[in-house]
Amino acid sequence: MNPIDEKIMVETRRQLLARGARGLGSLALYSLLQQNATAATEKKAVGGLPGLPQFPAKAKRAIYLHMLGAPPQMETFDYKPGMEKWFDKDLPDSIRQGQRLTAMTSGQARFPVAPSIFKFAQHGESGMWVSELLPYTAKMADDIAVVRSMNTDAINHDPAVTFMQTGFMIAGKPCVGSWISYGLGSMNQDLPTFVVLNASHSNPKANVQAISARLWSSGFLPGQYSGVALRSGGDPVLYISNPDGVSSEIRRNMLDATDEMNRIEMARLADPEIQVRIAQYEMAFRMQSSVPELTDISKEPESTFKLYGEDARKPGTFANCCLMARRLAERDVRFVQVYHRGWDVHSMLPEVLPSQCKDIDQGAYGLVQDLKSKGLLDDTLVVWGGEFGRTVYCQGKLTATDYGRDHHPKCFSIWMAGAGIKGGTVHGETDEFSYNIVKDPVHIRDLNATILNRFGIEDTRFTFKYQGLDQKLTGTEKRAVVVKDILV
Amino acid sequence: MADLRLDVREGAFAQRKNGQPVVPGKPDESLLIKRIYSDDPAFRMPPTFSHRTLTQEQKDTLRLWVEQGAKWTQHWAFVAPQKAALPEVKDAAWARNEIDRFILAKLEANNLTPAPEADRRTLIRRVTLDLTGLPPTPAETDAFLNDRSSDAYEKVVDRLLASPHYGEHRARYWLDAARYADTNGLHFDNYREMWPYRDWVINAFNKNMPFDRFTVDQLAGDLVPNSTIDQKVASGFQRCNVSTDEGGVILPEVEAMYAKDRADTTGTVWMGLTVGCATCHDHKFDPIAQKEYYALTSFFRNTTQPTMDLNIENTPPAVHVPLPADRAKWDALNAQRKALREKLADARKQSLESIKQWLPKADPQAASYAPGNQVFALRVSDDLRAVGRQGAQPVSRPEQVELIEAPDIDAKALRFKKEGSLDLPAVSEFDPDKPFTIAMWFYMPNSKEDGPIASQWENLPKEKDGESLHRGWLIRMDKGNLGIYDHRPSVYLSGADGKGISAWPAPEYKFKPETWYHLAVTYDGSGDRRGIGMYVNGAPIVSVGRPEDDPRLTASMKSTAPIRLGSDGSKHFEGGGVADFRMLTGIVDPEEAELLFLSTRFNAAAGKTVDQLSAVDAEAIGTFYTYRVNPATAATVNQLRAAEKDLYAIRRRSPSTLVMQERTDAEPVAHVLYRGQYDQMRDEVHPNTLSALPPMTHAMPRNRLGLAMWIVDASNPLTARVTVNRFWQEIFGTGIVRTAEDFGSQGEPPSHPELLDWLAVDFRDSGWDVKRTFKMMVMSATYRQSAATTPEKIAADPLNRLLAHGPRFRMDGEMVRDYALFASGLLRPDIGGPSVKPYQPSHIWDTVAMEQSNTRIYQPDSGADLYRRSVYTFWKRAAPPPSMDIFNAPSRETCTVRRERTDTPLQALVTMNDPQFVEAARVLAQNAMKSNKGLDGEMSFMAERVLARPLDPNESKVLKLSYDKFVAYYKSSTEDASKLLKVGESPTDTHLPAPNFAALTMVANEMLNLDEALDK
Repeated sequence: MNPIDEKIMVETRRQLLARGARGLGSLALYSLLQQNATAATEKKAVGGLPGLPQFPAKAKRAIYLHMLGAPPQMETFDYKPGMEKWFDKDLPDSIRQGQRLTAMTSGQARFPVAPSIFKFAQHGESGMWVSELLPYTAKMADDIAVVRSMNTDAINHDPAVTFMQTGFMIAGKPCVGSWISYGLGSMNQDLPTFVVLNASHSNPKANVQAISARLWSSGFLPGQYSGVALRSGGDPVLYISNPDGVSSEIRRNMLDATDEMNRIEMARLADPEIQVRIAQYEMAFRMQSSVPELTDISKEPESTFKLYGEDARKPGTFANCCLMARRLAERDVRFVQVYHRGWDVHSMLPEVLPSQCKDIDQGAYGLVQDLKSKGLLDDTLVVWGGEFGRTVYCQGKLTATDYGRDHHPKCFSIWMAGAGIKGGTVHGETDEFSYNIVKDPVHIRDLNATILNRFGIEDTRFTFKYQGLDQKLTGTEKRAVVVKDILV
Repeated sequence: MADLRLDVREGAFAQRKNGQPVVPGKPDESLLIKRIYSDDPAFRMPPTFSHRTLTQEQKDTLRLWVEQGAKWTQHWAFVAPQKAALPEVKDAAWARNEIDRFILAKLEANNLTPAPEADRRTLIRRVTLDLTGLPPTPAETDAFLNDRSSDAYEKVVDRLLASPHYGEHRARYWLDAARYADTNGLHFDNYREMWPYRDWVINAFNKNMPFDRFTVDQLAGDLVPNSTIDQKVASGFQRCNVSTDEGGVILPEVEAMYAKDRADTTGTVWMGLTVGCATCHDHKFDPIAQKEYYALTSFFRNTTQPTMDLNIENTPPAVHVPLPADRAKWDALNAQRKALREKLADARKQSLESIKQWLPKADPQAASYAPGNQVFALRVSDDLRAVGRQGAQPVSRPEQVELIEAPDIDAKALRFKKEGSLDLPAVSEFDPDKPFTIAMWFYMPNSKEDGPIASQWENLPKEKDGESLHRGWLIRMDKGNLGIYDHRPSVYLSGADGKGISAWPAPEYKFKPETWYHLAVTYDGSGDRRGIGMYVNGAPIVSVGRPEDDPRLTASMKSTAPIRLGSDGSKHFEGGGVADFRMLTGIVDPEEAELLFLSTRFNAAAGKTVDQLSAVDAEAIGTFYTYRVNPATAATVNQLRAAEKDLYAIRRRSPSTLVMQERTDAEPVAHVLYRGQYDQMRDEVHPNTLSALPPMTHAMPRNRLGLAMWIVDASNPLTARVTVNRFWQEIFGTGIVRTAEDFGSQGEPPSHPELLDWLAVDFRDSGWDVKRTFKMMVMSATYRQSAATTPEKIAADPLNRLLAHGPRFRMDGEMVRDYALFASGLLRPDIGGPSVKPYQPSHIWDTVAMEQSNTRIYQPDSGADLYRRSVYTFWKRAAPPPSMDIFNAPSRETCTVRRERTDTPLQALVTMNDPQFVEAARVLAQNAMKSNKGLDGEMSFMAERVLARPLDPNESKVLKLSYDKFVAYYKSSTEDASKLLKVGESPTDTHLPAPNFAALTMVANEMLNLDEALDK
């Protein structure tokens, strides 16, 4: 063997030991459980990488509200007052510039402009333009920073949301929640570090995209950094409830015996993995009480439901997920990912979009305000957005009251709040058609770099060796740039 | 130093304008050495921005290497393996076979000693789990304990290798690699019928199919000369990839994705290489150029498969796989059909004279081909006649319908002008339970609009999603879908409830405008989409249809609407034409369909002499005469008809499975895609393998078959190594190369290189005998060691890579579940068949699925199907079975050859609370109590099944203590006891005392959750 191979071999061995494939990682967990049993007051992250955060973090946690299907920017945050006069006129070629289209409209004979039929007004001290479809969001204009110049490389949902979450269009890479859990570890030993909530949508006519666990997968990172889906129906965490006829006392008795039996085995085989197993069973038992306590909202005061809306009482609604997200944040769960589906407005936009906006508007507002009043907004980052934007031209038949919009990767709008995000800011600008970005483009990788930055991490210095490459959330294509303008 | 590559010899030693990176023996002249030692940050390597530095030790190592001559050897995995001499060991008596010599030598070199042999109970449990995935029965354990013969263990091993469960267990690992699943994977993620492939894998392992054949059949079974149905099924390996039918996708992008997945999977499974790293650029670490990667993808780019999966379960190409019970008959019938057809062909050759006599006398009108079961026909000559059961009636022709000559088809035909259509008297014999056939010639106009060819299509007074519903039948040119599907004829059958079925030609069939086509549509009365058949120009074609919500045709489709040619009552077939329209009861078979296609030719030829006919027409007349007229062949024709009928019946009750099929009109080709982007096509590349490996020979065709031959060629250094390594991983938990998926330079080097090579050569030279290799592994002293370890061993070798003790690790989710089912007596041991749906928490599917998906609602099975082995559990890729997922099962979206093995609280929740495990505990307790042995006996009964051993006194004490607590509780809360005893569908014995039964159930739950029960 040549010395280079030898070196790589030694290196790999060393990494293996450091990462502790099975043994050491879980041993660390075991020690943390011990520690937790004794010193419950000290909230210190466990797990995580040495040296992280690399600089003082603004965020300890994040709540990421993803509108799956892609909300149209021109009906939400990207106000284009001049469009009415373009109604049913062809989008100029100088704007479209041969931009590639999805197969759904590439066969279309013409591309007539469909102006938003929804009105905009200015809000807050900042005077931010917000659509009438989002009255609650408008009320918190001064708490949020809107980026109107987001752009992505993907043009269809599956690769686009994968790209947004992982920095790559092809599945198999870790999502942002997994990266952060891996890097920073857990601040709560009774709940998962990274929780996913799938909110329901109310309009049966909404065009819904599929979702799958690969979106909250840890990819090549160890499996424990995958998101755990908190469910609104049945057990909130799969299999968390004891079977019928098994009380908590019976479960405790059962575990006492199992632990004891495992210790007998340990004495025989001396395998440290047995200790890990004992610890995991104990953590499972603790989760059996901490999870129901988390999801029990019966003790929430009336004011909560005034703030988030009555919908928050109904399990699985977006408002309810926002309330859950706040409860998770209070319990120092590191990363909460919320998905709301039904935003894929290829047709019937005027009918579907208002109900989609209504589904999420008050809940998102309630969440930000609630975090603020509880002092959590300072170190909790909230992100709202979809996976791409939508075309200004109509897909299908355009009438005065009906239209649809196709996918558009070249520009879209998101907002962020908390964790040192400068409220009332509007960043970036698109052309008069909301088709091309004319100022301050923000790519997905820039957004992800900004999220990491809030956690005190520089994207280029947060890597994981996989298939011989230093993999990172912000991809390999170009250097990501933190969006400094929206930071305090 | 832009474009400098230090991973290839040429890069390191080439003269560059500012020097030579590596000058052997002369570190001070080597640019590489100069730059890594440099104090100048601008000159120093690695550069500052990379945030990487070399340690002094690393630098010195490199310097030393250059000083000593910079010896450059090829990466170990690319050098052909050789059997090294067995290493000398001190304790030669310990070694039972060759494996042990290699293992022991390394242990001795590390001052470690092997653990003693495991006791017989541990051993039989371990080997039974490793070879069958199931624990031993108490009887099997006892038999082994009592067998004092010297080959007692070997007898156990041989028995297990012969068990049909062996194949199931081996297949389970392989199916991860094959990314086998029961749904298409993306978007709708609809049902995919693929399980015959899964059963093929199980059978192949059980039959101990040599691994080279196993490989060739899966990569190119369809291309093997005279390939059998089984070989075609096997080729489904490369159809197991995820597919999509999402409306907006861009076809070349998806095509690139499929080819990439297939190349990557092949690379991982057989070469142990991350070839996919070269998607965007030359591989950074292994000698795989981007161009070579795309050449590899080209092998998979010449398939007839449509890019869109059509959301159906049998996306073409697919084959029907007769059920085992039908196999013999199917083969016999096919042989019979072949013989009968040959006989008829011979008869035709001999009938030329009689044709010459007969033809001039044949009357074109009277002899017009009319099958006995014809219920309606439109006869077009100078006037129109509707020929029904009551005889012929004249039909008046509206002005918008032209009467034309269609020389292409030798007939007079109708042509529809704007708004033109022809109404004919209604035929009300067709209904969902009655087979029928509708046939016609149609002329395809140059139009992109829907064009109704013929219909009896009545509006119903109800709507769905704003569209009105219909009853009746409709045959229409469909304009295609979103520019993705081409114009093609489609058939719709709909009942009075508005529910119906549909079919249209698979996308591979192209229809040219301004052309006449003969179409025969058959429906077999099953109410099922698959009961619709289509023949175009007399030949059967593969048709597909709407999959949503399992539509079935059940309500009556009898309609009062007239038969309309050229219209469905609202739209019109402008510019289109129709000729020789017929309706028949019963379904036509392929011969009859061909005769329908030929009938206009015959009509035109009748009355002429043979020498007046064109060659094509003469051919047609020969067929017609033989099948229809010649009395000498009538009996043979009837036999053929009977065989066709039986074949159809077998085909309809057979499952289908996706297969590979090579295009015959094109050669495999691909393009280098700049940065992996589908729309950035660069150089054209042709099928080829990697240049770092031995080249393809002339005997290997440049297609998948050639690729497969190359993979199993004796000169290939990777295939055997990669395969035995995976086998080793299955048995020992970790491969000799830990990174089973990556034998490249970034993978981990082998822990025992000589052993790996020895096993690889041995495997290959044994004729790729899989069972033999497994037997060798489990017969070794290495394998038979006790799993007990010591602090010294843990310190020296924490991951047990040197195997100073026996393998012991947490079982995969499937094994954990099968184990509980088996121990309790619930497991149903049947092999093969459609996938089953055991218990699953509610809303696993519908929270992620699209509304339109036909795998949106999980409807669990009941009865026996709840208790099948987990290899048969239905696998929806977007939401895999959660109890498997939690135990690190992959989603089966991409190839996985090494599962992660974590230990998490979520797993504890599964085995404690999943009804499957609670029910298993209850049934185990019930069986224990029925054994009438008292508490000690009951506990022992359970322990023998869960742990394959009796309890020691300490353990009995612990378990009894908990039992007493449980009994006390359940005596005070009988309600809880009865609730617990109701978990699961299997019957509970109500005669047993509930508190004790419930308490023993909890003890069983304890046992099934022991570390010992979860580890093999």
